[in-house]
Amino acid sequence: MNDQVLIDKINEGLKDKVVSITNPAPRRLFLKVTADNLLTVVGWLKHELGITHLSTISGLDLGQSFELLYHFANNCCALTLRTEIPREQPVLPSICEIIPGAILYERELQDMFGITVQNIPDGRPLLLPDDWPAGNYPLRKDWQYERPPEVIPGGKS
Amino acid sequence: MLQKLTQWSRLKSPWILHLNTGACNACDIEVVAALTPRFDVERFGILLEGTPRHADVIICTGPATRQMKDRLIRVYEQTPDPKFVMAVGACAMSGCVYRGAYNIIGGIDQLIPVDVYVPGCPIRPDALIEGVVKLLDKIKKGTK
Amino acid sequence: MSFQIPIGPQHPALKEPIGVRVTVDGEIIREADLRLGYNHRGVEKLAEQKTWTQNIYLMERICGICSHSHATCYVQGVEKLMEIEPPKRGLYIRILVSELERVHSHLLWLGVAGHEAGFDSFFMYVWRDREIVMDILETISGNRVHYAINAIGGVRRDLDELQIKHILDSLEVLRQRSAYYQKLGTTEPSFVARLAGVGYLSREDAIELCAVGPTLRASGVPMDVRKDDPYAVYDEVPFEVCTADSCDVLGRTVVRIKELLQSYNIIEFLLKNLPAGPISVRAPRRAKPNEVISRYEAPRGENIHYIKSNGSDKPERLKVRAPTLANYAATIKMLKNGFIADVPLIFAAIDPCICCAERSVAIVDARTAQERIVTMSSLRELSLKTAKHQTRKREAEWPL
Repeated sequence: MNDQVLIDKINEGLKDKVVSITNPAPRRLFLKVTADNLLTVVGWLKHELGITHLSTISGLDLGQSFELLYHFANNCCALTLRTEIPREQPVLPSICEIIPGAILYERELQDMFGITVQNIPDGRPLLLPDDWPAGNYPLRKDWQYERPPEVIPGGKS
Repeated sequence: MLQKLTQWSRLKSPWILHLNTGACNACDIEVVAALTPRFDVERFGILLEGTPRHADVIICTGPATRQMKDRLIRVYEQTPDPKFVMAVGACAMSGCVYRGAYNIIGGIDQLIPVDVYVPGCPIRPDALIEGVVKLLDKIKKGTK
Repeated sequence: MSFQIPIGPQHPALKEPIGVRVTVDGEIIREADLRLGYNHRGVEKLAEQKTWTQNIYLMERICGICSHSHATCYVQGVEKLMEIEPPKRGLYIRILVSELERVHSHLLWLGVAGHEAGFDSFFMYVWRDREIVMDILETISGNRVHYAINAIGGVRRDLDELQIKHILDSLEVLRQRSAYYQKLGTTEPSFVARLAGVGYLSREDAIELCAVGPTLRASGVPMDVRKDDPYAVYDEVPFEVCTADSCDVLGRTVVRIKELLQSYNIIEFLLKNLPAGPISVRAPRRAKPNEVISRYEAPRGENIHYIKSNGSDKPERLKVRAPTLANYAATIKMLKNGFIADVPLIFAAIDPCICCAERSVAIVDARTAQERIVTMSSLRELSLKTAKHQTRKREAEWPL
C-alpha cells in the first residue's frame, strides 16, 4: 500500500484524534497529535495497521515547549507522530505497554531533556555518568558547557 | 646480573593491555588487526593480555570520558611497576573531533602520565609497530 | 543460590566499554542489566556547533566499523534539506563503498564469532582476507578506516579503469575464499554445535522489542531498509533480502554469510554498470528551514537520522540512533534463561558496535547479593569447557 492509502485509512479510523497529516516526500508521513491522545493513536496504529516497529524517539527544544517525535516504520513508509508538551510541566505518558522496545528511548529522553515519563517500567538514567550533577539536561538549548582549562604535561599550560 | 636478565626479557616481550576509554572503535580494530597475519606483532613477542596485572604496557585508545575516568585511573594503578602507557590515536592525544563535548575530559594525558604518542585517525597498524619500537628504545636507554 | 556478577568496563574480550550486571542462579542467568554511558561523547550537542560540512567528519567518527553508514545517512538527509540531487556516478560510487563496508564488517564479525567460539585459526584466516578489502578501500579513498568519501552533493574522489580492474580481480579471490568459509562455518560440527540453540529470540519478541538488522532477520522477519525504503540506487540494483528461521546465533551467522555473498554480486553489478559523468554538484552553505528523516541499512541494522535546519549554516537538531542501541532490549531478553557461558557469544551475535556498548560482565549472586567480577576471557574458557561436553544439537540449515 502506498502513502495515499495510508492517509485515507488514518483519516477514516482516527477522525478527530489527529490534528494534521502531512506528506512532504514519498514514503514520509507526519501526524500531529496531542499528548492526551498519544496512547490511543499508538495503540490504533499497532492493532489496526500493524505498525509496530519504533525506530526512535527524538526530542526537540522549541523554547516554550518540547516537541517529541515518535518515528515508526513499516515496509512501505516511515510514519512520524509529533506531539508537544509545555516546558514548565514536561510530563509524558509512556508507551512501553504497547511497544516494549521503547524503554531505552524514553530513558534517554529523561536524561537529556528532563522530561518525566509516567508509568515507565524502569526509569534509571541511561547515558550520563554516575557523578553527573542533577538538574543539568544537556540537550536543552539554554544549557551551555564551559570546558575547563587543559594542562599540557611537560609544556606550557 | 639479574637486572640485566629482567631488562632483556622486558625488551624482548612486552605484554600489552588494550584499554578503550570511549573511542569510536576504529583504533581498536586496527590494534587487533596488528595481531593478524599481515602485520603480526606476535613475532616480536607482543602478547595481548586480558588483565592489568599481567601487562607491561597499557595501550589506550579513545578520549577519556567522565564515566571512564575512575576506571582508567584504577586500571593504571592495578598494573604493576614498571609500566608504560601508549596513547594511540588522535582521540587519546587530545580528544580529536570531540573536544568541547560535555562528557569528554580531553586526551588521556590529563589523567595518567603517557610515554609514547601515536598519531592518526585512525592509526595504521604500521604506526603502532613503530610506536612500540620507540617505546622499547626508550626502555633500553633507561629514560622514563 | 543466585549471584550477581558485574561485568565491568575493562575486560579482555572485545574492545568497547559497556557494563553488564547479570544475576545468576547456579549457571542460569535470571536477570540481566546494562549500564551504558561509558562511551557517551555528547555528539548530538556537539553537532549543533559545527557547520554542515564539518559534521560529516564528526558523524563518521561515531563508529569506526560502520563510519560510512553514519556519514552517508547524514549526507543523504542534508542533500534533501538543501534540495540538491547528486549525479548518478556519485551515487554509484557511494553505494560501492557502502557495500564494501558491509563486506568488511561481516568478515570482521565472522572472525570475532570464531574467536568467541574458540576457533582462533578461523579468526586469523578471515582477518587476513579482510585485508584485501581494506586494500581496495585504501585505493579508492586514501584511508583504511574513516574513508570520508562523501561530500555534500556527491563524492570526493573518482574511480579510474585500473582501480576497477583491481577491485574485480580481488572480488574473484574473495569469492573463492568466502565459499570456503561458508562451508567451514556451517558444516564444521564443533563450530555449529557451539552456535546452535544459543541466544534464542522468537519472532514475536523480535518484532515487539524493535530489533533491527541480522538479529531481526535471523528470526524470520524480512525487514531491510534497502527494500522497504530504497535510497540512492537500490531501486535499480537487483538483490535479495536474506533471512533465516532458526532465531539463534547460528541463524545470525547464516544471514551474515548470505549477505556477504549478495554484496559481492551487488559490487560486481555496480562496477559493470558505472555511468559516466560528474561525481558531485556544488552545495549551498545554508539550508532552508525544514526537517528530514534519513534511513540507511548499516551492516548492523537500520540507522536513522533526524535532521532539522533553521536557515543557518549549522543544524538546529541532529538526532542519531545507531543500530546497536535498538538491539539492546532484545539482548536482555536473549540473556535471560541462558547460560553464563553463553554471554560472550550472545553479545558478539548482535554485532555490537563498540562505540555503543562496553563489555565487561559482572555476575551477581541473587541469593547472597555478593559480587564477583568475571573477565570475559575466563567466561570464554568456561564456555569452551562446557561446549566440549555438549552433544551436537543440529545441522546447519543451508539451502545452497
